[in-house]
Amino acid sequence: MPGSTATQEIELILEKKTSDGGGGNLPPTGRNGGGDDGKRPQRENSSPKRYFTGMALGIVSILMFFMALSSAFLLRRGNGVWIPVQIPMVMWINTIVLLASSATLELARQRLADGRLSTYRNLWLVTTVLGVGFVVGQAVAWRQLVAQGIYLASNPASSFFYIFTGAHALHLMGGVAALIYVAKRNFNQAKVTRSAAAEVTSYYWHFMDALWLFLLALLYLGK
Amino acid sequence: MVSYDEGASAPQPTRASFLGRYVFSTHHKTIGLQYLWLALASVLVGVVLSTLLRVHTSWPDTAIPFLTGFENTPERYAAVRLLHGSLMVFFVLTAAPQLGFGNYLLPLQIGASEMAFPALNLVSLWLTVISLAGMTVSFFYTAETGISVWLGSAAIFSIGALLSALNFTTTTIDLRTEGMTLPRLPVTVWAWFLNSILSMLIFSVLLAGCAALLSDRLLGSQFFSVASYLAAQPLNLVRQGSSAALWQRLFWYFAQAEVYVAMLPCFGIVTHLVSTFSRKPVWKERLVVLALCGVGLIGFCVWGYHMFATGMNPFAPLVFAVLASSLGVPAAFLLASWLGTLWEARLRLTTAMLFSIGFISLFIAGGLSGIFLARHDLRSAAVSEDFVIGHFHLVMGVAATFAILAALFFWFPKLFGCRLSETLGKAHFWMTFAGVYLIFMPMHWLGLLTQSRLLPDEQRAVLASAGSSIRTLVTVATIGTVFAQIIFVINFVQALLRRKRVQEEANPWRATTLEWSVASPAPEENFGNAKPTVYRGAYEFPAGLATDFAPQHLSPELLAQKVG
Repeated sequence: MPGSTATQEIELILEKKTSDGGGGNLPPTGRNGGGDDGKRPQRENSSPKRYFTGMALGIVSILMFFMALSSAFLLRRGNGVWIPVQIPMVMWINTIVLLASSATLELARQRLADGRLSTYRNLWLVTTVLGVGFVVGQAVAWRQLVAQGIYLASNPASSFFYIFTGAHALHLMGGVAALIYVAKRNFNQAKVTRSAAAEVTSYYWHFMDALWLFLLALLYLGK
Repeated sequence: MVSYDEGASAPQPTRASFLGRYVFSTHHKTIGLQYLWLALASVLVGVVLSTLLRVHTSWPDTAIPFLTGFENTPERYAAVRLLHGSLMVFFVLTAAPQLGFGNYLLPLQIGASEMAFPALNLVSLWLTVISLAGMTVSFFYTAETGISVWLGSAAIFSIGALLSALNFTTTTIDLRTEGMTLPRLPVTVWAWFLNSILSMLIFSVLLAGCAALLSDRLLGSQFFSVASYLAAQPLNLVRQGSSAALWQRLFWYFAQAEVYVAMLPCFGIVTHLVSTFSRKPVWKERLVVLALCGVGLIGFCVWGYHMFATGMNPFAPLVFAVLASSLGVPAAFLLASWLGTLWEARLRLTTAMLFSIGFISLFIAGGLSGIFLARHDLRSAAVSEDFVIGHFHLVMGVAATFAILAALFFWFPKLFGCRLSETLGKAHFWMTFAGVYLIFMPMHWLGLLTQSRLLPDEQRAVLASAGSSIRTLVTVATIGTVFAQIIFVINFVQALLRRKRVQEEANPWRATTLEWSVASPAPEENFGNAKPTVYRGAYEFPAGLATDFAPQHLSPELLAQKVG
């Protein structure tokens, strides 16, 4: 997944680190006594690294939330009244839409790295539209289930079906908000570069994509 | 790459309004103090509630003043217990050592000017405040509504805790100053860091559990519905009448680890203080950090052992019993390190140090009874609720409170710019120390006495009468200990009133870590433009210097000038 920007970013971060400490990564540890006394190194709080770290940790946290529900699902499955929910056809189409959005997001980031801003903007917009399309598609699927008389309160299987798809849709809407934010943001005076912001957002988006595939597999195979 | 200035690192505008400065500030020190005030308010209410509970247990016929407005029913009694527990666990034990002291001190100790995501920090503070309000309000509703409100508040608290944990972890990973390598981190920072990782994992589980249960209660979904679940359960589950085993599993997944969420930062604080006041490095510092990792890891895995009472797969208790007992291993490492640091040390018995040693004492006393509880067979046969209450109050509640008080006495100059009175502090310490042993030790005894199912009836009657006098003793001791806290309140208020008049030195305790390199109270912009550089580990007290300690930020040349 890491495109050219990711490696560049890492190189820049590494370069920044080594150039800061006056030759070495660390100040002298005592015995050999170096003398960079007057020169106060400024490793400022400006590195975008924290956004990557924060995103990675956030992903772990969200994953844990869904793992808790998944383990409850597996424990609960087959106990008592358990009428599996047939996954509506629309959801398979939605899946393709979501996968496509990940692809366009990557393409957008490549264009951004090449400096082709207008194509990047268009592809970014396509990604956002596909993301919204996915959520709308999920809503359509829920309407279809409701029309069949399957509600949240019908039985444990349907409860799990709605909470999985619902919680995922909620998290995905956060991703859509992030896409819009990155598109609208003026990066001229911002703390982060556009490419860093796009990359952090892309991690979340791909994660949502993978999470959806996992949930779909769980709901399909685990019914 | 262009260096983009981080808005967060800029100092706060000095002419901000009251709201901007104190209520909606994103500054880590302001937020840290707000958590501490929150904890102080909660602990006072929580203590009053526990006294009411004791009075009710000893003299059930007395009309409890606070509860006269309500029907004095078992339900209300349970509600008081719930409020006492939630205030203490969420807003004192979780909030004070981690969120309060952590927010204030973590950036200072690693040489940063702010947390990684200041705005997020403000959001988590206000989520915590909302959750506190919600849990308090739930007390005044009927049980049915109250539980829903409580669950919603717990979910909000989880989100706040998750965001805080994210912030702490990222800050520790990315914002350390030049030369602050991982081995040079103070143990306190390690504890906050590991604790945040643990919090990130377990609060998600609590959030999932709360969300599902709330949806059951409000929307009629069937995650934990009794009838359909029990139909296919193994017999032992049904026999014991458990109806919500799935919820219990998710809850204990969280709650067991929550004990360590409260304890981990306390371990860090005590290690830090014991070293500073022993004027010696932490004995086997790396092992201590490894032990902290071990506590977190095992704590994460032992969720099942609260399910003993509920019944589970017959082999599972064995696994969890082994896991729970193996917690003794990292705990023993920590204990060995504290004792090793104290060994032949030039002790300085300040109030902060007394509270740290008190923590160690309580930790040993409470930990020993924990070994009994880890044996699932022993636990169900020989021990009743009183024993469990005595155990976890000693090891978790009171020990953690001692660590919080130790931290408060130690960092008070950095927080407010003056010291608390040592005389009042020591009086407060000895009265509290004696008091908590008088309360909780007899409770263990009571627990063993009253669980007398195996004895013939006439012996049971004798034991029951003995039990009631022990109960009275516990209640009297509780009232005495609560009154001893007035000394603390006086000390606290007096110091706050005095602080404008005294000029506190930057490093009154002659400690080594970075927060003592700046003035007391810590200046608004932390280190300003002079970012500190770290040259050595956090606990170095070499001989042959004019001063007996080597601060982390002092360059070798400056230190060499101090050779006396």
